[in-house]
Amino acid sequence: MPKPSRKFVWIALVALACVAAAQRPPSTAPPGSDTIKIPFESYTLPNGLTVILSTDHTTPTVAVNVWYHVGSKNEVPGRTGFAHLFEHIMFTGSGHVPYGLHDKLTEGIGGNNNGTTSNDRTTYFEIVPSNYLESSLWIESDRMGFLLDTLDIAKLNAQRDIVKNERRQGVDNQPYGKVEEILARATYPANNPYSWDVIGSMEDLSAASADDVKDFFRTYYAPNNAYLTIVGDFDPVQAKAWVAKYFTDVPRGKPVVRPNVATATLPAERRFFYEDRVQVPRLYIQWPTVGEKNDDQYALDVLGSILSGPRTARLTKALVYDQQAAASVSAYQGSNEDVGEFMVTITPRPGHTLTELETAADAVIEKLKADGPTPEEILKATAGEELGFVRGLESNLGKAMRLSDSAGFHGDPGDYKIAFQKSMSVTAADVKRVANKYLTKGRVVLSVVPTGKPDEASKPAESQKVTGAEDTPRPEVKR
Amino acid sequence: MNALNRRMSAIVLAVALLALPLWAQQALDRSKIPPPGKPPALRVPTWTKTTLANGAELIVSEKHDLPLVSFSLTVLGGSDQFEPADRRGLASIAASMLSEGTKTRDGEALSNVLQLLGTTVSVGIGNDSGAMGFVSTTGKFAPTLEILADMMVNSTFPAPALERIRAQRLVGLTAAKAQPGAIARRVFPKVVYGTAHPFGQLTTEETLKAITRDDVAAFAKAYYQPGRAVVVVVGDVTPASAKATVEKALAAWPAGGSKPNFSYPPLPPKQPTAIYLVDKPGAAQSTFAIGNPGPPRSTPDYYALEVMNTLLGGMFQSRLNANIREEKGLSYGVGSSFAFGKGPGPFRAGGDIISAKSDVALVEFMKELRGIEGSRPITDEELTTSKSSLVQSLPGMFASVSSIGAAIATLWTQGLPDDYYQQYGKSINAVTKADMVRVAKQYIDLDHLSIVIVGDRATIEGPLKATNIAPIVVLDIEGNRQ
Repeated sequence: MPKPSRKFVWIALVALACVAAAQRPPSTAPPGSDTIKIPFESYTLPNGLTVILSTDHTTPTVAVNVWYHVGSKNEVPGRTGFAHLFEHIMFTGSGHVPYGLHDKLTEGIGGNNNGTTSNDRTTYFEIVPSNYLESSLWIESDRMGFLLDTLDIAKLNAQRDIVKNERRQGVDNQPYGKVEEILARATYPANNPYSWDVIGSMEDLSAASADDVKDFFRTYYAPNNAYLTIVGDFDPVQAKAWVAKYFTDVPRGKPVVRPNVATATLPAERRFFYEDRVQVPRLYIQWPTVGEKNDDQYALDVLGSILSGPRTARLTKALVYDQQAAASVSAYQGSNEDVGEFMVTITPRPGHTLTELETAADAVIEKLKADGPTPEEILKATAGEELGFVRGLESNLGKAMRLSDSAGFHGDPGDYKIAFQKSMSVTAADVKRVANKYLTKGRVVLSVVPTGKPDEASKPAESQKVTGAEDTPRPEVKR
Repeated sequence: MNALNRRMSAIVLAVALLALPLWAQQALDRSKIPPPGKPPALRVPTWTKTTLANGAELIVSEKHDLPLVSFSLTVLGGSDQFEPADRRGLASIAASMLSEGTKTRDGEALSNVLQLLGTTVSVGIGNDSGAMGFVSTTGKFAPTLEILADMMVNSTFPAPALERIRAQRLVGLTAAKAQPGAIARRVFPKVVYGTAHPFGQLTTEETLKAITRDDVAAFAKAYYQPGRAVVVVVGDVTPASAKATVEKALAAWPAGGSKPNFSYPPLPPKQPTAIYLVDKPGAAQSTFAIGNPGPPRSTPDYYALEVMNTLLGGMFQSRLNANIREEKGLSYGVGSSFAFGKGPGPFRAGGDIISAKSDVALVEFMKELRGIEGSRPITDEELTTSKSSLVQSLPGMFASVSSIGAAIATLWTQGLPDDYYQQYGKSINAVTKADMVRVAKQYIDLDHLSIVIVGDRATIEGPLKATNIAPIVVLDIEGNRQ
């Protein structure tokens, strides 16, 4: 799932040759070797704020990350998109920090700031020269404690307009842009909070009121629902003193009630097609699987690497190289906190139909389900994990995100290490088992076709037309 | 969560007690902005330079905190120097073809060995330089480099692979016709530079279809030559060990080649400012690209241009974004940039604008361009913020082995001195408000701008016309006049 963020990053039209290392994690050092570590210390303030500190003096910068355990899954129908809209409001100033000062004290001194919202969490960060740590803590504590002091309807409306533009840019004016929200709606029943996309609907964005904003803030933006992580070039004694100084008087909030999300399964295949202003059709197949808290996610990740990516991966090899019927194919497991999906995306070459490609992809997947992967396939899929991890250590922000995700989702900042070991321990039998367990008939097949060409859908006679998420029928709820 | 709380409860108490005197003695005055501490010293990596037996230059920078090595081989010159006008796209295809097989390994064998090494070799060729490289763990540096060398020296360019890559690129071109941003990226340079200038020449169905297997093999042979290349190794190596590894791996790469001279044809005659409207029926947003040819990276006005553009559209709090996004709410983000390179790369301002307010946004874009040219005086705070946002972002360039490698390679490709980063702050801080206004006037020509707008013609043409900013010329999605 995408994580909408506050800022659109302006990309210059500079066609510089770059060695932007294509990141597929890949090495063969044994799991648990001593490179897999991020030294940290952690404690909790009396108001419930979890604090995580990790020093790294490689560069004179520091990353501050504040992670709130709230995302689009805490929204209610009729107010979708609210968690993300709220993220924008967090940048409009607070009780003692006037609008604009945040950017001056980050970007204006060579640093950076941003926020991102997912289904499960909202996170805010500053990257600053190390002598600006105190002002970053001052800003973060002020918006945690005093946001509502200066909030008014004008600020809400201004950010609402910007978020609507973000939706236009990422969804409405983007070829294939509505796919995610159609798939979410087709996969999850109405009472499942993963049935809507993070960006939300235009209608709901228009409906949000100032009272909604205040309630949301009081419920979720309290220290007992937050994780403050500081990574980089700082003195821990000084940092702890500043954390105490600025965060101690922020009052604890009420206990947060989290939605109880049932695992989703589909009893049968659901087929749809969507006409879009595209020139090239595209096929999406999505199976509901498992989320962050289920260890099957690791084998599903490996399954994705065995099916797509390098030219020897099974779907890539069969569809793109051997049959030359597809221009591209991807397969991957996306894990949210409570649920996950395995998704296959196929773009055809001219002269090849989506029906043909669906059949070809199914044949590859069925063979893998029958025979399981080879030991060499497992080795190749996990060989890059160590390099991927060590490269992540080069970024203060990357480390802060890893520590806070581990703490927020798994209750321990050091959980990343367990996750790494689990990923390295996946066996061929595990992959075979999860492929058979999850890649079943219970799936959503969505064809996106050029406007006026419904016949280009995969098995068009068996597929139902939808014009967007709004008229996509929800799955039946099993009682 | 339970485990965390249990284990940390003792520390919580200790910290609370320790901290008590700091904040409890007096109420915290939150209205005071905490002052910054003493500025940290700028730490620029150091490196050594030498020459390989085949004539390529070698630069090595040590960084031992993590077991990582970044390798890049950068070639001076790119598609604009080495591609014929009727074969645009050849360089990019040649770069991809290096992964398709060597004398001793076919494409699958190359892929398999790299997967087991846990890394990927990336190959790319841009407008005026190209590079291939990888990041590996220390232990995998030598074997990965051996694969890279095999790809560069011994590629066989199998004809069936060319057909597959060509077909994939053609699908990509077709798909891009539905993408407003991609349409603007193609139409804007064509309008600004014309098709007689390499900057205005596009990869099209025709040029892709014209490329032969022999073209690809000849291009790669002529292009990848040590006389125009630099190898940069950064990370967990020593200069001596890196040199030995590189010499051994590149022993079969024969000497030859020279640096291209980067001569560009003259720019087309200036045209009066016009709006070039590309119809995208029903579009929810209009994609703007406003600009003109700019100076090369070698211009003495580089620093003044950087500071000026930072204020105009180079940061979140820039004038363009503050006005059009934050104040007016017309966009998710707008900005501006100069594409500094060997040639006269464009100045470009733009972003995606809500369709119904395309006219309002155009008025505001023009207002800010006039503003930076003098009608809106630059404040002291704007000058300070623009400079420090540039100068103090330098340390971030030296955080990873790959970013250090890129920082060093840039000095080499742009012919900049070794102490460039040490002197950067001084050069930026020397820029005055008068310099900023002067370069804005000199390099953003309000009378000869190309204003490319991709959007819903039926609803935006009338309002755009009513602004009286410039006449409207309607183009198709390939940038041809209708």
